[in-house]
Amino acid sequence: MERDVFTFIVGGKAGEGVKKSGSVAASILADLGRNIFQMDDYQSLIRGGHNFSVVSSSTGPITSHHLRAQLIVNLDERSYHLHRQEVAEDGILVYNSDVMSEAEGIGLPMTSEAKKFPRPDLRVGVASITVLAAALGLDMDYVEEVIAREYKRDLENNVAYASRIFELARPKIGGRFPLERGNATGKAIYGAEAIALGALAGGLDLYMAYPMTPSSPILHFLAAQGRPFGVHALHLESEVSVANMAVGASFAGARVAVGSSGGGFALMAEAFSLAGMMEAPVLFILASRSSPSTGVPTYTEQADLKFAISVGHGDFPRVVACPGTVEEAFYLTADLLGLAWRFQSPVILLTEKHLGESAMNVSLDPFRATWAEPVLHSDVGGGPLSTPSLGALEPAQEDGYRRYRFTDSGVSPLLFPPSSQVIKWNSYEHDEYGITTDQPEPTARMHEKRYRKRQAIIEHLRGTKTVNVYGEGGPVIFSYGSSTMSVLEALRTGGIQATVVQPTYLEPFPVWELERYRGSNPIVVEQSVAGQFSALIREQAGVSSDRFIRRYDGRPFEPSELAQQIKEMM
Amino acid sequence: MEDLGTYAENTWCPGCGNFAILNAFKAAIGRLEEQGIGRDRIVLVAGIGQHGKIFDYMNVSGFYGLHGRSMASAQAIKLANPDLKVVDFVGDGDALGEGLEHTIFAAKRNADITMILHDNGVYALTTGQYTPTSARGYRGPSTPTGTVEDPIHPLPLMLEAGASFIARGYSGELEHLTDLMVQAVLHEGFSFVDVLQPCVTFNNTWREYNQLVEITDRTATTPEEARAIFSRTDRLPIGVLYRRDDVPFHRRLYEDFNPVRDKEPREARQRRVAQFLGVPEEPEREYKGPRERP
Ligand SMILES: Cc1ncc(C[n+]2csc(CCOP(=O)(O)OP(=O)(O)O)c2C)c(N)n1
Ligand code: SF4
Repeated sequence: MERDVFTFIVGGKAGEGVKKSGSVAASILADLGRNIFQMDDYQSLIRGGHNFSVVSSSTGPITSHHLRAQLIVNLDERSYHLHRQEVAEDGILVYNSDVMSEAEGIGLPMTSEAKKFPRPDLRVGVASITVLAAALGLDMDYVEEVIAREYKRDLENNVAYASRIFELARPKIGGRFPLERGNATGKAIYGAEAIALGALAGGLDLYMAYPMTPSSPILHFLAAQGRPFGVHALHLESEVSVANMAVGASFAGARVAVGSSGGGFALMAEAFSLAGMMEAPVLFILASRSSPSTGVPTYTEQADLKFAISVGHGDFPRVVACPGTVEEAFYLTADLLGLAWRFQSPVILLTEKHLGESAMNVSLDPFRATWAEPVLHSDVGGGPLSTPSLGALEPAQEDGYRRYRFTDSGVSPLLFPPSSQVIKWNSYEHDEYGITTDQPEPTARMHEKRYRKRQAIIEHLRGTKTVNVYGEGGPVIFSYGSSTMSVLEALRTGGIQATVVQPTYLEPFPVWELERYRGSNPIVVEQSVAGQFSALIREQAGVSSDRFIRRYDGRPFEPSELAQQIKEMM
Repeated sequence: MEDLGTYAENTWCPGCGNFAILNAFKAAIGRLEEQGIGRDRIVLVAGIGQHGKIFDYMNVSGFYGLHGRSMASAQAIKLANPDLKVVDFVGDGDALGEGLEHTIFAAKRNADITMILHDNGVYALTTGQYTPTSARGYRGPSTPTGTVEDPIHPLPLMLEAGASFIARGYSGELEHLTDLMVQAVLHEGFSFVDVLQPCVTFNNTWREYNQLVEITDRTATTPEEARAIFSRTDRLPIGVLYRRDDVPFHRRLYEDFNPVRDKEPREARQRRVAQFLGVPEEPEREYKGPRERP
């Protein structure tokens, strides 16, 4: 059976509200009960250039944008030229007839109509979603409703403008796409929002960051939405400060997360080791952009994998995991915050621009999110000022509190100030009480204590889901992170049967789940020129392969292209 | 105050100005306790250097941070639990070299912490290199022919950055230094105490300071007055040199809220997330145990 994928693209200059139009288009398609996937493509500039937003929808599951579109609305000339090849057979191309003439497709005077109102350049985005509504056969009353919901500011003028565009568009394209309704549920959210909400559901108290695309949406979301949750997001002087502050906040008992992208995360490396040494529970979020150094700031890649699993100096355990879908991002963030507190270790949520800045509708159950809780020392002196969280209590020690007490698991019970006991966190090598030492025996023993936690983490992970496997039969395809969503959509698009293996945890690497794929010569799909992921599965799990699909131009995989590539390899 | 010590072996050189800072702080804790600030609420933060060893020598809770970065960690300890009194012992190489950015921002924000600068004009722990406060011409292993840079003057720097309490003390005036520490901790806002600390091994300034130091009661309340006091070179006035009342960082952010103390329990938090997402709410919804991922 043909899948009923419907794709809408809106393109224009930065500053014309293209991303907003994409979101509104997504909400219109969601109103029809359809599942949606939205991807925003934008450059690192504030005005001009070329931005576009792709919204694909289906009555069934959909996990990627498609570039072959049924309806394309171009607000400027550049978009027209860039997107005209993407119109599907029997698709429609709509262009702004005020900025170009003699074009193929349907021209509408979006700018001259907008000029009848103040701030015309801000208004053309409304035209694009009005065209969509008309093409879907929806009526002007509905468009008014959408505008009231989404473009509240300057409502009257927006409605008046939309009515004009609606009148002009209806005779030409009205009702051309009578889409089947679906019964999708769940709110459309971006991956970055899923991460932030997962952290909130997992018990976050403080978020700290220095702005860097593509991690900034997490900061912006928590700064705007965090307060009613009692959560504060701080924009600080640098990533160096952010990471050192995070460790300090965890010492005082706050559940804390920080976020950055490659260069900023590199600056956090020193404090990442500090967290390892102090055994500080901190959730680091690393949202990858494309290429080394400043790179391609607003585009996507998966080339920070090896950095994430090896960042920091000295040996110490850490956890690194990467969500494959927007839904997984929500639960995984809470899980990781929980792991940080359970094992008193720095943890990294590794993700990419493509996940963070793509939206889809997901059904989430916040009551199922892991809640970050430490193992507490039972002498919680200091009365009501002590942390209210109730983790499992360890018996009090007669000879006073030992922050770094040797235990079988390597995890020492926590205590927070104010306390009648002395609590010492130390960046130098230290004894059980946290006093500095450079003696060989205590140094070795403390190393062993810290490192024992790695085994404890592995034992814990063995009892949880660390690898997602989708489908059965056919070739084995390995992918991770947001590439998984692309692969799943490619399989649906190309009607391909395959087994998709997506390790969510990358350190400790779940070899116990993956060894069974030795000899399967999987197709390995990733966004890295060096093939970091294929090297990891070979080195760690002994799964070697000679079939690779790699993309590293900053763009996410496109499902029909990817389907073609997979077929060629089968 | 013997019980304020630890079993750690003290490895400072006999005659070092650091001893007076340690003893003054022990005495200050006693005085603060008399005023109702128990030692359980005091968190000692330290940078990396000879000064930082005070962490090991004091039997109070603390955080031995990174070189130059303890200022950042100290601010966050206060933000996480504003009921704590945070005192950060830093070096001049530590807080004015590697960590200058964080020092300036702590002052700019008027973070409610106390910063005690062990100002010995030298990187002592790494064997005597010049620091940001060393005089021009200072000879050390990294500047054998003398540094060609002029020093940074920490007092005016902190004034311009926004510190609301600026004091100077001297290791040769223990009682006076104790009093400065008590006032600094009691001050609500960013308190900076520049302690003239002779390093007998690499930069022995006892004699010079004994001649120049002069106790003053004059506390400036305007930047102009403060600049006049700071710019004196004939004498080195010590005391609380500048002070202003201003709302500290954590109150500007969230008034009396305390992220650790006032945290909502799991149920309430997850319910809010559910509301945000429009997830249908069952009344009295209970935690269902760990989720099984598909
Ligand atoms: C990032 C980093 N760089 C360098 C060092 C080495 N180091 C340790 S102490 C120190 C200088 C300490 O000088 P200062 O802050 O003036 O303190 P003092 O020893 O004089 O008390 C340096 C450079 C370090 N620990 N970390
Ligand atoms: S080297 Fe200098 S700072 Fe260090 S203990 Fe000796 S005198 Fe004090």
